[in-house]
Amino acid sequence: MNRKGKDKMGMRLRENIYQAVLWFILLILAATMLVPFLYVLMLSFTDASAYVAGAFNLWPKKFSLAAYGLILKGSGFLNALKSTLIITVIGTPLSLFLNAGLAYCLSKPIPGKSFLNKYVMFTMLFSAGMVPNFMNIKALHLLDNYLACILPAACGAWSIMVMRSFFQSLPAELEEAAMIDGCGQLRIFGVIVLPLSKAMLASMTLFSFVSYWNTYFNSIMYMTTTAKSTLQVYVQKVVLSSGMSSSDMVDMQSVVQNVVPQEVTRMAAVVVVILPILVIYPFLQKYFQAGMMVGAVKG
Amino acid sequence: MKGKKETGKTLRRQIWEYRWIYLLGIPGLVVMFLMYYMPLRGILMAFQDYNPHLGILGSPWTGLKHFRTLFSDPKFYNMLKNTLVISGLNLLTFPVPIFLAMLLNEVRNLKFKKFIQTSIYLPHFMSWAIVVSLTFFLLSTEQGVVNKLIVMAGGEPFAFLFSTKWIYLILVVQSLWKSVGWNSIVYLAAISGIDQSLYEAAKMDGANRFQCMMKITLPSIMPTVIVMLILRMGSIISVDFEQTFLMNNPLVKSKLEVFEIFIYNNSIATGSTQYSYTTAVGLFKSVVNTALVCLTNWITSRRGYEGVM
Repeated sequence: MNRKGKDKMGMRLRENIYQAVLWFILLILAATMLVPFLYVLMLSFTDASAYVAGAFNLWPKKFSLAAYGLILKGSGFLNALKSTLIITVIGTPLSLFLNAGLAYCLSKPIPGKSFLNKYVMFTMLFSAGMVPNFMNIKALHLLDNYLACILPAACGAWSIMVMRSFFQSLPAELEEAAMIDGCGQLRIFGVIVLPLSKAMLASMTLFSFVSYWNTYFNSIMYMTTTAKSTLQVYVQKVVLSSGMSSSDMVDMQSVVQNVVPQEVTRMAAVVVVILPILVIYPFLQKYFQAGMMVGAVKG
Repeated sequence: MKGKKETGKTLRRQIWEYRWIYLLGIPGLVVMFLMYYMPLRGILMAFQDYNPHLGILGSPWTGLKHFRTLFSDPKFYNMLKNTLVISGLNLLTFPVPIFLAMLLNEVRNLKFKKFIQTSIYLPHFMSWAIVVSLTFFLLSTEQGVVNKLIVMAGGEPFAFLFSTKWIYLILVVQSLWKSVGWNSIVYLAAISGIDQSLYEAAKMDGANRFQCMMKITLPSIMPTVIVMLILRMGSIISVDFEQTFLMNNPLVKSKLEVFEIFIYNNSIATGSTQYSYTTAVGLFKSVVNTALVCLTNWITSRRGYEGVM
């Protein structure tokens, strides 16, 4: 009896040590993911008087919002924000509507279903390439039009397949019962199927929102007016292009007078660009694990 | 799939019965047609000397001229080499998410597990412009943390981002940082599907934790691992455009020249008229890519796993 108790204690101790080591490793890993953001966030509040170029700071000695003021005043940021907002606000619901509709269509035993499946899969399999895509957008007269950033990313075979397998996994009885009650097909989709798919739709909303918010490639490809390019292009110009070329992106005078150090401005630019994702992420995060699993388990 | 047609109904009646369902699918089909199928006609440019004034129908045909030029161009072999080296190095990190999932699965405290998951999935949602910006804050000569520390320790700052020796390592670490958490999800799902009675039986037989991992967890998720590995092999000819484009600078240019970068720099970026040649380069990449995906899908389904398609 006594020995058994000791064994149990030893086991519990071993388990605790094991868990502590696990926690340690995972905490370090989580830190490598989070610390870069915290570092950028902290330094973006540094006041010019406390800033020493080239010195290593973790914590600003004096706080200031000057860098944010500078960014918000510059026309570069406001234009980029406007473009990104237009693309995201139109693109996200449109993309959800197109993908969910097509996925629901493919989840039903409709005539021509196998052809339509192939039609969707082909888009995942083969790409015409960068130049033909560009010529196509040009031929559609969409160059410099926000639709050129919205439409290419609106339909994705992967999202459609994940949604389709989700719709197929819903119990058929509910829809059949509604049909017997004389409910039309569109009403069934809107009143029964969509509410049942809330978790999946929430994760798809997050994916779609993020992909539009992060629009970079389509912007540099198709938007010829600088004022119409997106926030990601803006952040690239502020952070990654050196010297004077970034001057049109922020208020010139403040830069010349060195009111706000360049490094701090750069960090503030990164913060404003990722802020919406950081805000929306924790709310939708609990859904996307459930939503992802549907696709993951199948793969 | 229900392939059986209900008797007594003509095809037309069946279609009519599903008319509202079709209606839901049509907008997506139209957008797909506009964005994926319409560009296909542009592929013809690869077999022409395309002239914008003459259009695709009027431009002179050249057969395989551009492909012959491509395969005799030393630049092509450099691009192929860069692509394969970058993909190959990325492939080396393939096991990392598997181990991460196994570690995560061992955590007993659910709140802690959730916190870790939330933080490691976050980088997946960052654009390459942000990831590259963060890299800049870490490694740049004047503003990078590493160089600030080197200077504080009395050393000379080192231009990591302009060094051909470091560039591939930086790319691999960036990709790993961005995707390791996200890629672990699929393995976590696989692990959670393992029958718990296997572990209980093993414990009864006196197996320790490590033995359980090696003899139960790993073999049980092997099908998922193989499918993921094969999928990765299918994209070995593709390197992320945004990442390589944003990391590019004159000093590391030769190391980062991959197909997409070449196409972009010689067509859209410069407004050059090499439409036909760059289309040919893109077509080569697309065809190899499709062949690889089909091949790997064929292998997976032959091995008895449900194929990807």
